[in-house]
Amino acid sequence: MTEPRIIRIDLASPQPVYEQIVNGLRAMLVAGRFSRGEQLPTVRQLAIDLGVHHNTVAESYRVLAEEGWLDLRRGRGAVVLDRREPKPNEETKQWFVRRLEELVAKAITDGVPRPAIADRMTALAKRIVSGERGEKT
Amino acid sequence: MIPHPQLFFGAILLGAAALVAWAFWMLPQWSRPGIYFSVTVLPEFRKTEEARRLLKKYRLHAMVYVAIGFGAILAGAFPAFWFLLIIGIVLLAFGPLFAFLAARKGMLPHAAPGATVREAALEPRVEHLSGRWIAQIGPFAILAGTGAYLYFRWDAIPARFPVHWGINGQPDEWSVRTPLGVCTPLLLAAIIVFGISVISYVLRHYARALPAPGSRPITQDFRTKVAIFLLIIEFLLTTVSSLVALLPLLGNLPLLIVTIATFPMILVLIAWLAKGRVPYEGGHASLTGPGLSIGDGTLDKYWKLGIFYFNPDDAALFVERRFGLGYTVNFAHGAAWLLLGLLLAVPIAVALLLVHEH
Repeated sequence: MTEPRIIRIDLASPQPVYEQIVNGLRAMLVAGRFSRGEQLPTVRQLAIDLGVHHNTVAESYRVLAEEGWLDLRRGRGAVVLDRREPKPNEETKQWFVRRLEELVAKAITDGVPRPAIADRMTALAKRIVSGERGEKT
Repeated sequence: MIPHPQLFFGAILLGAAALVAWAFWMLPQWSRPGIYFSVTVLPEFRKTEEARRLLKKYRLHAMVYVAIGFGAILAGAFPAFWFLLIIGIVLLAFGPLFAFLAARKGMLPHAAPGATVREAALEPRVEHLSGRWIAQIGPFAILAGTGAYLYFRWDAIPARFPVHWGINGQPDEWSVRTPLGVCTPLLLAAIIVFGISVISYVLRHYARALPAPGSRPITQDFRTKVAIFLLIIEFLLTTVSSLVALLPLLGNLPLLIVTIATFPMILVLIAWLAKGRVPYEGGHASLTGPGLSIGDGTLDKYWKLGIFYFNPDDAALFVERRFGLGYTVNFAHGAAWLLLGLLLAVPIAVALLLVHEH
């Protein structure tokens, strides 16, 4: 059975809600859980379901559209694009490594066991590679 | 002609009193498991001694107001005490509300922090009105059918006919055979049904989908139940209005029988609607998953007096009522005020039309 595609936010989190929506949606888009041409809920529907302002969801969709994940057209809502991956520059690569190391350090500090982190990262690496080969996860 | 008209009127009034008393008696138990007297609580709070004490106190106060209110209405039927009718209606409308506010005040120290986690499915939905267009045009078809019947039996309608009867069973208001005089009940019903249809549409598109709580697979959305409820009310209303319009041809007996039969039907409907908000037997209080189990998807700080919802950061125009069944508007949105104004304009227009007619 396909896992339901659900986005979850926490209004009490210090992270802005629009960023939480962007991160949640982006993770699903990267994992290939949406196919090209698929329609996302309208801004109104998602805002009402999450209990947030329209502008918050609209901003999230705009960020993802700027990243090339979504096509926003009037009357059609948000449509998933077949995103061509841009060539990363050196700065982006360094930013990613730094963020990853920081995240791992924080997880260890917060008590997440090292083997659990390693297992999770291995699983993630496998998924990324299979995604590169165009396999469905 | 009805034998013993006082008995009929008495039965109607008694039925209405029983219905109102039962509704106010049950109201606190019809809220979602995480809400008690409009305050967010842990679902198990309801079983505590303090919860039972507050419920008992509320019920006692509410029933006293209902009893005095109906007593006043009954006394107001006598022309010399007409003012008691207004006092009775005010007592009925506001008395249980005071009882609720007192109970809510007692609840505030027991409030639990509401869940701040929100979830939403990422599947686009196509929202349809209950029963699609075929059911939606049903009430209008009843009115149109009655109108057509009256047109074809126009000559059988008396030039002057009674439309209102006093408590002694004697007619005290009359209408004449003109298109407006005959069809006013149908026109009024059409306006009201149109207003209800607008509410159904807005509920479908601008209210949050909260599932019925319980451990069964969640398929029932409370909005759907409310929409079905409203549709049935439309059918009842158009049936009664049609019988009012047919008074000059059929007399008042069918109307009285249907009106009295409507009470148990409304009772069953309300009980069915209330079941959509309380957990199924053996169910639990969770809405859709862990972290969402407390409250109703809104936070206490946005509820003024536990009755008025005001949250500019919530896109929903309608939210579930915390006290009472159904929905209330999000007063932070101008569109909600506009809608409320339009909905209030309907009964005002109806009242003005009736006053103008007389």
